[in-house]
Amino acid sequence: MAIKIPKYLKKGDTIGIVCPSGYMAYEKAQECIRVLQEDWGFKVKIGKTLGSNSETYFSGTDEERLQDVQSMLDDDGVDALLFGRGGYGMSHIIDLIDFKKFKRKPKWIVGFSDITLFHLHVLRTLKIATLHAPMAAAFNNEGYKNEYVLSLKAALKGRKAKYKAATHLLNRQGETTAAITGGNLALVVHSMGTASEVETNNKILFLEDIGEQKYSIDRMMMQLKRSGKLKNLKGLIIGKFTDIADTDRPFGADLYTTIFDLVKEYNYPVCFDFPISHDAENYAIKMGVAYKFSVQKNKVALTEI
Amino acid sequence: MKRKDFLKSSVLVSSGLLWNIQKSAATLAKASTNPIIPPSLKQGDMIGITSPAGYITRQDILPASKLMYEWGYTVRAGYTIDKRYFTFGGTDEERLQDFQTMLDDPAIKAIMCARGGYGAVRIIDKIDWTKFKKHPKWIIGFSDITVLHSHIHQNLGIATIHSKMCNSFPSDWVLASDLQKNTILSINNALKGFGSIYNFEVNTANRVGVAKGVLVGGNLKTIESLAASTSDINTDGKILLVEDTGEYMYSIDRMFWNLKRSGKLDKLKGLVIGGFKVKPDDPNDYFGKTLEDVVLEKVKEYNYPVCFNFPVGHQIDNYAVKLGVVHELTVHNAGGNLKEL
Repeated sequence: MAIKIPKYLKKGDTIGIVCPSGYMAYEKAQECIRVLQEDWGFKVKIGKTLGSNSETYFSGTDEERLQDVQSMLDDDGVDALLFGRGGYGMSHIIDLIDFKKFKRKPKWIVGFSDITLFHLHVLRTLKIATLHAPMAAAFNNEGYKNEYVLSLKAALKGRKAKYKAATHLLNRQGETTAAITGGNLALVVHSMGTASEVETNNKILFLEDIGEQKYSIDRMMMQLKRSGKLKNLKGLIIGKFTDIADTDRPFGADLYTTIFDLVKEYNYPVCFDFPISHDAENYAIKMGVAYKFSVQKNKVALTEI
Repeated sequence: MKRKDFLKSSVLVSSGLLWNIQKSAATLAKASTNPIIPPSLKQGDMIGITSPAGYITRQDILPASKLMYEWGYTVRAGYTIDKRYFTFGGTDEERLQDFQTMLDDPAIKAIMCARGGYGAVRIIDKIDWTKFKKHPKWIIGFSDITVLHSHIHQNLGIATIHSKMCNSFPSDWVLASDLQKNTILSINNALKGFGSIYNFEVNTANRVGVAKGVLVGGNLKTIESLAASTSDINTDGKILLVEDTGEYMYSIDRMFWNLKRSGKLDKLKGLVIGGFKVKPDDPNDYFGKTLEDVVLEKVKEYNYPVCFNFPVGHQIDNYAVKLGVVHELTVHNAGGNLKEL
């Protein structure tokens, strides 16, 4: 089944901002809102869950967050939905969202981290492309000027991405063209066995994570392998694992080496340290869309078809 | 220790936990759901100790091997004991080889995993179960060993023992607390084929009821990490036991969502929540829910009994339970118990 591509944005279109998971103070999204309006030429509609008066970890109760996401999804005046931040909480509401209207009139959904679950769910159940990309906080501290936040703007406007990355000693050379999927590793494995489970056959899979123990990353990679998610890939993109911790007794020689060992028996191209991460380096990726992934001795490129 | 002495000491110190020694009702269990129960251990039987996951020194298994000798068994330490490959008790190949040798050796009647840590999942698919299937023996451990419990239950239907491992045996038995002694002795009781009853205290969040079913489960994180793999447990019609340590509350919440969304909570007979050592929230990321909130929210639409603070987990009161065996869970307003049938 072909993937549906939501309508790209033009000047004057409206971007809705809601926080479906963790709490976010309004000030943290202020710069993003300013840039979206003044520099990028969009209108912005703010949901109740951004800068809410919630006093818990979450930006609101499950009902409030669900309600906010639902009304933005259903609002004909909202052309794209940017999640303010991730955190944790998508799992609570994902099965309660009514996608009927969204299915008829898809719009771009933007986010990463906890939002991975939303992407995987929409991709699997609706076959609609979504945007794995920087969120509101990435605009702060002049972040809006960097190529990663700008890659979000380009993606929203329908420009095709051409990303280049540094080479890595462990890279496995090759070239492939396939639809891309993936996201935050912890959320990708969290989807396993559920209605949102990641589908990887004949796809390029990209993964990133933050703040995990090395052994835990290995365990998650083992889960992907043991559930057959690494076998029929067309390519594997390992983004950055930031703020990783290690056990008192060191886990292993090198995290990337242990990951490479898990896919040694396959032949698809693999690259490491690709600029997708919880740090500033985080290129916008259109989930479900086909890319040419090329890993050569001297260069790594990911080019949207 | 002789059984008589044990009975005496346990009655004296039962602090809310009561041991009931009874003959194993293996035949009864077999009739209802057909689990395969490995033979009980006799005097002189050999217990193998191996490290399928984390690294352990020979020194660290001494208290366990000494005590198991005192119980009347002989002990063989596998060659992964004292071996170390980074965090692991040897390379994947070495750990696999050691475990496989013990599994296939007819002289070894039970295998105690020396400790958990991480690593069982790295070898599980390479284990050859042919001989074990023909001649089942008790596999003992918890935490990362949940990989073995789940895999064996799901694929072979053979009962296993969820209990403390070598690294939890007191280095000086005389100085150990009665609670610690009783939990260690509960392993021997399980090996000898005695059934168990464990009482738990009242918790206002408990949901009362009585349920009968095969007991499955173990470490929550490990159970989640097996989802969609060949070791993934089917919990339909069963009593699920979970425990965990060192996780943030949000992460525990997310794990329960995975259980729920992967259909592991809707057809349960009962839910047993063991010990949870929760990692304190980051000051700016206060999660604001208790374990009880997190669990009850996921199971509110079901009717089976639920109990909290069951004495299993990464803690001193971690008693041996037989996974894959039919149990009866009774939760009432004044507490309750889990009884092996």
